[in-house]
Amino acid sequence: MTSLLLAAALVAGTLDGAGVRATVAERKGRPVLLSLWATWCVPCVKEFPELARIARERPRLAVLSVSMDDPQDRAAVEKFVAEQRPPFPVYVKSPGPDEAFINGVDPEWSGALPALLVFDAKGRRAALLQGEKTRAEIEKALEGLE
Amino acid sequence: MRRMLAVAAAGMLAAQSTSAAGPAIGDKLTPFALKNYDGATVDLKSFAGKKAVVLMFISTQCPVSNGYNDRMAALARDYAAKGVAIVGLDANREETPDEIAAHARQHGFSFPVLKDVNNVEADRFDAQVTPETYVYDATWTLRYHGRIDDDRRGDNVKSQDLRNAVDAVLGGTDVPVKETKAFGCTIKRVAK
Repeated sequence: MTSLLLAAALVAGTLDGAGVRATVAERKGRPVLLSLWATWCVPCVKEFPELARIARERPRLAVLSVSMDDPQDRAAVEKFVAEQRPPFPVYVKSPGPDEAFINGVDPEWSGALPALLVFDAKGRRAALLQGEKTRAEIEKALEGLE
Repeated sequence: MRRMLAVAAAGMLAAQSTSAAGPAIGDKLTPFALKNYDGATVDLKSFAGKKAVVLMFISTQCPVSNGYNDRMAALARDYAAKGVAIVGLDANREETPDEIAAHARQHGFSFPVLKDVNNVEADRFDAQVTPETYVYDATWTLRYHGRIDDDRRGDNVKSQDLRNAVDAVLGGTDVPVKETKAFGCTIKRVAK
Protein backbone atom coordinates (compact mmCIF):
# COMPACT_ATOMS: atom_id res chain seq x y z
CA MET A 1 0.00 0.00 0.00
CA THR A 2 2.81 2.36 0.94
CA SER A 3 4.57 1.67 -2.33
CA LEU A 4 1.36 2.41 -4.23
CA LEU A 5 1.04 5.74 -2.45
CA LEU A 6 4.66 6.55 -3.17
CA ALA A 7 4.22 5.62 -6.80
CA ALA A 8 1.18 7.87 -7.06
CA ALA A 9 3.16 10.72 -5.57
CA LEU A 10 5.93 10.56 -8.16
CA VAL A 11 6.20 12.88 -11.08
CA ALA A 12 4.38 11.28 -14.00
CA GLY A 13 6.90 12.33 -16.63
CA THR A 14 7.88 15.23 -18.87
CA LEU A 15 5.71 16.88 -21.49
CA ASP A 16 6.27 19.46 -24.19
CA GLY A 17 3.43 21.66 -25.43
CA ALA A 18 2.13 19.06 -27.88
CA GLY A 19 2.38 16.43 -25.18
CA VAL A 20 0.22 18.53 -22.88
CA ARG A 21 -2.42 18.89 -25.59
CA ALA A 22 -2.32 15.15 -26.28
CA THR A 23 -2.63 14.34 -22.59
CA VAL A 24 -5.67 16.59 -22.34
CA ALA A 25 -7.15 14.99 -25.47
CA GLU A 26 -6.76 11.53 -23.93
CA ARG A 27 -9.30 12.60 -21.30
CA LYS A 28 -11.97 13.40 -23.92
CA GLY A 29 -15.37 12.49 -22.52
CA ARG A 30 -14.60 14.20 -19.22
CA PRO A 31 -14.05 17.85 -18.40
CA VAL A 32 -10.40 18.62 -17.74
CA LEU A 33 -8.76 21.11 -15.41
CA LEU A 34 -5.15 21.69 -16.45
CA SER A 35 -2.92 23.44 -13.93
CA LEU A 36 0.36 25.09 -14.94
CA TRP A 37 2.52 26.02 -12.00
CA ALA A 38 6.00 25.97 -10.49
CA THR A 39 7.45 25.33 -7.06
CA TRP A 40 8.98 28.82 -7.03
CA CYS A 41 5.61 30.45 -7.72
CA VAL A 42 4.10 31.40 -4.36
CA PRO A 43 0.45 31.68 -5.49
CA CYS A 44 0.85 28.36 -7.34
CA VAL A 45 2.00 26.60 -4.20
CA LYS A 46 -0.90 28.17 -2.32
CA GLU A 47 -3.36 27.05 -4.97
CA PHE A 48 -2.12 23.48 -5.25
CA PRO A 49 -3.95 22.02 -2.19
CA GLU A 50 -7.14 23.70 -3.40
CA LEU A 51 -6.83 21.87 -6.70
CA ALA A 52 -6.36 18.62 -4.81
CA ARG A 53 -9.57 19.29 -2.88
CA ILE A 54 -11.44 20.10 -6.09
CA ALA A 55 -10.17 16.88 -7.67
CA ARG A 56 -11.32 14.82 -4.69
CA GLU A 57 -14.73 16.48 -4.63
CA ARG A 58 -15.32 16.15 -8.39
CA PRO A 59 -14.56 12.61 -9.52
CA ARG A 60 -15.93 13.36 -13.00
CA LEU A 61 -13.34 16.07 -13.47
CA ALA A 62 -9.92 15.04 -14.80
CA VAL A 63 -7.23 17.20 -13.22
CA LEU A 64 -3.77 17.42 -14.76
CA SER A 65 -0.83 19.39 -13.51
CA VAL A 66 2.33 20.47 -15.32
CA SER A 67 5.21 22.11 -13.50
CA MET A 68 7.22 24.77 -15.29
CA ASP A 69 10.21 24.23 -13.03
CA ASP A 70 13.56 23.89 -14.75
CA PRO A 71 14.75 20.33 -15.35
CA GLN A 72 17.53 21.04 -12.82
CA ASP A 73 14.84 21.59 -10.20
CA ARG A 74 13.12 18.26 -10.71
CA ALA A 75 14.04 17.18 -7.16
CA ALA A 76 12.12 20.15 -5.76
CA VAL A 77 9.06 19.15 -7.77
CA GLU A 78 9.31 15.54 -6.63
CA LYS A 79 9.67 16.60 -3.01
CA PHE A 80 6.65 18.89 -3.28
CA VAL A 81 4.54 16.23 -4.96
CA ALA A 82 5.57 13.64 -2.39
CA GLU A 83 4.47 16.00 0.37
CA GLN A 84 1.21 17.02 -1.25
CA ARG A 85 0.19 13.60 -2.59
CA PRO A 86 -2.27 15.07 -5.09
CA PRO A 87 -4.98 12.79 -6.50
CA PHE A 88 -3.93 13.72 -10.04
CA PRO A 89 -0.86 13.25 -12.20
CA VAL A 90 1.88 15.87 -12.08
CA TYR A 91 4.13 16.28 -15.10
CA VAL A 92 7.17 18.49 -15.61
CA LYS A 93 7.75 20.65 -18.67
CA SER A 94 10.33 19.06 -20.90
CA PRO A 95 13.59 20.96 -21.49
CA GLY A 96 13.34 23.67 -24.11
CA PRO A 97 12.35 27.29 -24.63
CA ASP A 98 9.49 28.57 -22.50
CA GLU A 99 7.83 30.35 -25.40
CA ALA A 100 7.60 27.19 -27.52
CA PHE A 101 6.03 25.36 -24.60
CA ILE A 102 3.61 28.20 -23.82
CA ASN A 103 2.45 28.49 -27.42
CA GLY A 104 2.33 24.73 -27.72
CA VAL A 105 -0.06 24.50 -24.79
CA ASP A 106 -2.21 27.45 -25.85
CA PRO A 107 -1.20 30.52 -27.86
CA GLU A 108 -3.55 32.63 -25.78
CA TRP A 109 -1.80 31.79 -22.53
CA SER A 110 0.53 34.69 -21.68
CA GLY A 111 2.94 32.44 -19.80
CA ALA A 112 1.82 33.83 -16.47
CA LEU A 113 1.76 31.44 -13.53
CA PRO A 114 -0.35 30.06 -12.09
CA ALA A 115 -2.56 29.32 -15.07
CA LEU A 116 -5.60 27.08 -15.22
CA LEU A 117 -7.12 25.87 -18.45
CA VAL A 118 -10.54 24.28 -18.38
CA PHE A 119 -11.69 21.99 -21.18
CA ASP A 120 -15.17 20.63 -21.72
CA ALA A 121 -15.89 16.94 -22.31
CA LYS A 122 -15.37 17.45 -26.04
CA GLY A 123 -11.88 18.75 -25.46
CA ARG A 124 -12.72 22.37 -26.25
CA ARG A 125 -11.13 24.98 -24.07
CA ALA A 126 -13.84 26.59 -21.98
CA ALA A 127 -11.78 28.89 -19.79
CA LEU A 128 -8.30 30.29 -19.30
CA LEU A 129 -7.56 31.65 -15.84
CA GLN A 130 -4.24 33.40 -15.43
CA GLY A 131 -2.80 34.51 -12.10
CA GLU A 132 -4.10 34.09 -8.59
CA LYS A 133 -7.68 32.84 -8.52
CA THR A 134 -10.07 32.18 -5.69
CA ARG A 135 -11.85 28.89 -5.19
CA ALA A 136 -15.06 30.65 -6.27
CA GLU A 137 -13.48 31.79 -9.53
CA ILE A 138 -12.25 28.29 -10.27
CA GLU A 139 -15.65 26.81 -9.42
CA LYS A 140 -17.31 29.33 -11.73
CA ALA A 141 -15.07 28.26 -14.61
CA LEU A 142 -16.12 24.64 -14.02
CA GLU A 143 -19.83 25.38 -13.91
CA GLY A 144 -21.97 23.30 -16.20
CA LEU A 145 -19.15 21.15 -17.51
CA GLU A 146 -19.84 17.96 -15.52
CA MET B 1 -0.84 40.72 -34.06
CA ARG B 2 -0.68 37.80 -31.69
CA ARG B 3 -2.67 39.77 -29.16
CA MET B 4 -5.29 40.60 -31.80
CA LEU B 5 -5.56 36.94 -32.76
CA ALA B 6 -5.80 35.97 -29.14
CA VAL B 7 -8.59 38.44 -28.53
CA ALA B 8 -10.43 37.18 -31.60
CA ALA B 9 -10.01 33.58 -30.48
CA ALA B 10 -11.24 34.48 -27.02
CA GLY B 11 -14.36 35.98 -28.51
CA MET B 12 -15.08 32.95 -30.64
CA LEU B 13 -14.61 30.51 -27.81
CA ALA B 14 -16.19 32.74 -25.18
CA ALA B 15 -13.18 31.90 -23.06
CA GLN B 16 -12.64 33.51 -19.71
CA SER B 17 -9.37 35.32 -19.69
CA THR B 18 -7.71 37.99 -17.63
CA SER B 19 -6.14 39.53 -20.73
CA ALA B 20 -7.07 43.01 -21.77
CA ALA B 21 -5.74 45.11 -24.60
CA GLY B 22 -2.36 46.63 -23.87
CA PRO B 23 -0.33 48.67 -26.34
CA ALA B 24 0.31 47.13 -29.74
CA ILE B 25 3.53 47.41 -31.70
CA GLY B 26 3.47 50.85 -33.33
CA ASP B 27 1.39 52.47 -30.58
CA LYS B 28 2.63 55.66 -28.98
CA LEU B 29 3.69 55.81 -25.36
CA THR B 30 1.45 57.86 -23.10
CA PRO B 31 3.90 59.37 -20.63
CA PHE B 32 3.29 58.88 -16.93
CA ALA B 33 4.93 59.95 -13.72
CA LEU B 34 5.51 57.68 -10.73
CA LYS B 35 7.63 57.76 -7.63
CA ASN B 36 11.02 56.13 -7.68
CA TYR B 37 11.98 53.96 -4.71
CA ASP B 38 13.83 56.95 -3.23
CA GLY B 39 10.66 59.03 -3.17
CA ALA B 40 11.57 61.25 -6.13
CA THR B 41 8.96 61.52 -8.85
CA VAL B 42 10.15 60.34 -12.24
CA ASP B 43 8.24 61.73 -15.19
CA LEU B 44 8.78 59.87 -18.43
CA LYS B 45 8.58 63.22 -20.20
CA SER B 46 12.04 63.89 -18.76
CA PHE B 47 13.36 61.21 -21.12
CA ALA B 48 12.35 63.18 -24.20
CA GLY B 49 15.31 63.18 -26.57
CA LYS B 50 16.49 59.71 -25.56
CA LYS B 51 17.09 57.36 -28.46
CA ALA B 52 15.08 54.65 -26.74
CA VAL B 53 13.11 54.09 -23.56
CA VAL B 54 12.96 50.60 -22.09
CA LEU B 55 10.24 49.86 -19.54
CA MET B 56 10.66 46.70 -17.48
CA PHE B 57 8.05 45.35 -15.09
CA ILE B 58 10.09 43.61 -12.44
CA SER B 59 9.76 42.16 -8.95
CA THR B 60 11.85 41.94 -5.82
CA GLN B 61 10.49 38.51 -4.90
CA CYS B 62 9.82 36.66 -8.14
CA PRO B 63 12.56 34.08 -8.75
CA VAL B 64 12.31 34.49 -12.51
CA SER B 65 12.68 38.26 -12.30
CA ASN B 66 15.50 37.86 -9.80
CA GLY B 67 17.21 35.48 -12.19
CA TYR B 68 17.54 38.47 -14.50
CA ASN B 69 18.92 40.96 -11.95
CA ASP B 70 22.48 40.81 -13.23
CA ARG B 71 21.33 40.99 -16.83
CA MET B 72 19.10 44.00 -16.09
CA ALA B 73 21.97 45.79 -14.33
CA ALA B 74 24.26 44.99 -17.26
CA LEU B 75 21.68 46.25 -19.73
CA ALA B 76 21.57 49.62 -17.97
CA ARG B 77 25.38 49.80 -17.82
CA ASP B 78 25.76 48.90 -21.49
CA TYR B 79 23.11 51.20 -22.90
CA ALA B 80 23.05 54.30 -20.68
CA ALA B 81 25.89 55.94 -22.60
CA LYS B 82 24.15 55.12 -25.86
CA GLY B 83 21.19 57.34 -25.04
CA VAL B 84 18.83 54.67 -23.78
CA ALA B 85 16.69 55.21 -20.69
CA ILE B 86 16.02 52.08 -18.69
CA VAL B 87 13.09 52.28 -16.28
CA GLY B 88 11.95 49.55 -13.92
CA LEU B 89 8.39 49.33 -12.65
CA ASP B 90 7.24 47.34 -9.66
CA ALA B 91 3.47 46.82 -9.61
CA ASN B 92 3.37 43.98 -7.10
CA ARG B 93 1.07 44.99 -4.28
CA GLU B 94 3.18 43.51 -1.51
CA GLU B 95 6.52 44.96 -2.61
CA THR B 96 7.12 48.23 -0.79
CA PRO B 97 9.33 51.15 -1.85
CA ASP B 98 11.73 50.25 0.98
CA GLU B 99 11.97 46.68 -0.28
CA ILE B 100 12.40 47.91 -3.84
CA ALA B 101 15.16 50.30 -2.74
CA ALA B 102 17.06 47.58 -0.88
CA HIS B 103 16.70 45.23 -3.82
CA ALA B 104 17.89 47.85 -6.32
CA ARG B 105 20.94 48.67 -4.22
CA GLN B 106 21.75 45.04 -3.56
CA HIS B 107 21.77 44.26 -7.26
CA GLY B 108 23.48 47.43 -8.43
CA PHE B 109 20.58 48.83 -10.44
CA SER B 110 21.63 52.17 -11.88
CA PHE B 111 18.14 52.74 -13.26
CA PRO B 112 15.05 53.96 -11.41
CA VAL B 113 12.50 51.41 -10.24
CA LEU B 114 9.14 53.12 -9.98
CA LYS B 115 6.45 51.93 -7.62
CA ASP B 116 3.28 51.40 -9.63
CA VAL B 117 0.79 51.84 -6.80
CA ASN B 118 -2.48 50.00 -7.43
CA ASN B 119 -0.95 48.56 -10.62
CA VAL B 120 -2.36 51.43 -12.65
CA GLU B 121 0.35 51.28 -15.32
CA ALA B 122 0.51 47.48 -15.28
CA ASP B 123 -3.20 47.50 -16.09
CA ARG B 124 -2.77 50.11 -18.80
CA PHE B 125 0.05 48.11 -20.38
CA ASP B 126 -1.72 44.82 -19.69
CA ALA B 127 1.59 43.61 -18.26
CA GLN B 128 1.08 40.14 -16.85
CA VAL B 129 4.38 38.88 -15.54
CA THR B 130 7.78 39.86 -14.26
CA PRO B 131 10.03 40.41 -16.06
CA GLU B 132 8.11 41.86 -18.99
CA THR B 133 9.61 44.60 -21.14
CA TYR B 134 8.59 47.31 -23.60
CA VAL B 135 10.96 49.14 -25.95
CA TYR B 136 10.03 52.57 -27.28
CA ASP B 137 12.06 54.45 -29.87
CA ALA B 138 12.91 58.16 -30.00
CA THR B 139 9.43 58.98 -31.26
CA TRP B 140 7.99 56.99 -28.35
CA THR B 141 6.61 54.36 -30.63
CA LEU B 142 6.43 50.81 -29.25
CA ARG B 143 8.94 48.69 -31.15
CA TYR B 144 9.25 45.59 -28.94
CA HIS B 145 7.28 43.86 -26.20
CA GLY B 146 8.14 40.68 -24.38
CA ARG B 147 10.89 38.79 -22.62
CA ILE B 148 14.47 39.88 -21.96
CA ASP B 149 15.90 36.74 -23.52
CA ASP B 150 15.04 33.10 -23.97
CA ASP B 151 16.77 31.60 -20.94
CA ARG B 152 15.61 32.42 -17.46
CA ARG B 153 18.79 30.97 -15.89
CA GLY B 154 21.08 32.87 -18.20
CA ASP B 155 23.54 30.10 -18.93
CA ASN B 156 22.10 29.05 -22.26
CA VAL B 157 20.79 32.21 -23.91
CA LYS B 158 20.24 31.75 -27.62
CA SER B 159 18.11 34.79 -28.35
CA GLN B 160 18.85 38.21 -26.85
CA ASP B 161 15.44 39.56 -27.77
CA LEU B 162 15.50 42.77 -25.73
CA ARG B 163 19.07 43.70 -26.63
CA ASN B 164 18.38 42.87 -30.28
CA ALA B 165 15.40 45.20 -30.22
CA VAL B 166 17.30 48.07 -28.58
CA ASP B 167 20.21 47.59 -30.99
CA ALA B 168 17.82 47.73 -33.93
CA VAL B 169 16.20 50.91 -32.61
CA LEU B 170 19.61 52.51 -32.08
CA GLY B 171 20.75 51.37 -35.51
CA GLY B 172 17.62 52.63 -37.23
CA THR B 173 16.70 49.20 -38.51
CA ASP B 174 13.64 47.04 -38.23
CA VAL B 175 13.36 45.14 -34.95
CA PRO B 176 13.89 41.51 -35.95
CA VAL B 177 11.42 39.99 -33.48
CA LYS B 178 8.86 42.52 -32.31
CA GLU B 179 6.93 40.41 -29.84
CA THR B 180 7.80 37.49 -27.63
CA LYS B 181 6.01 35.95 -24.71
CA ALA B 182 7.39 37.09 -21.42
CA PHE B 183 7.57 34.29 -18.90
CA GLY B 184 7.61 34.70 -15.17
CA CYS B 185 5.55 35.33 -12.08
CA THR B 186 2.19 36.99 -12.39
CA ILE B 187 2.08 40.57 -11.23
CA LYS B 188 0.35 40.48 -7.86
CA ARG B 189 -2.35 43.08 -8.37
CA VAL B 190 -4.64 44.79 -5.92
CA ALA B 191 -8.27 43.73 -6.11
CA LYS B 192 -10.32 46.28 -8.02
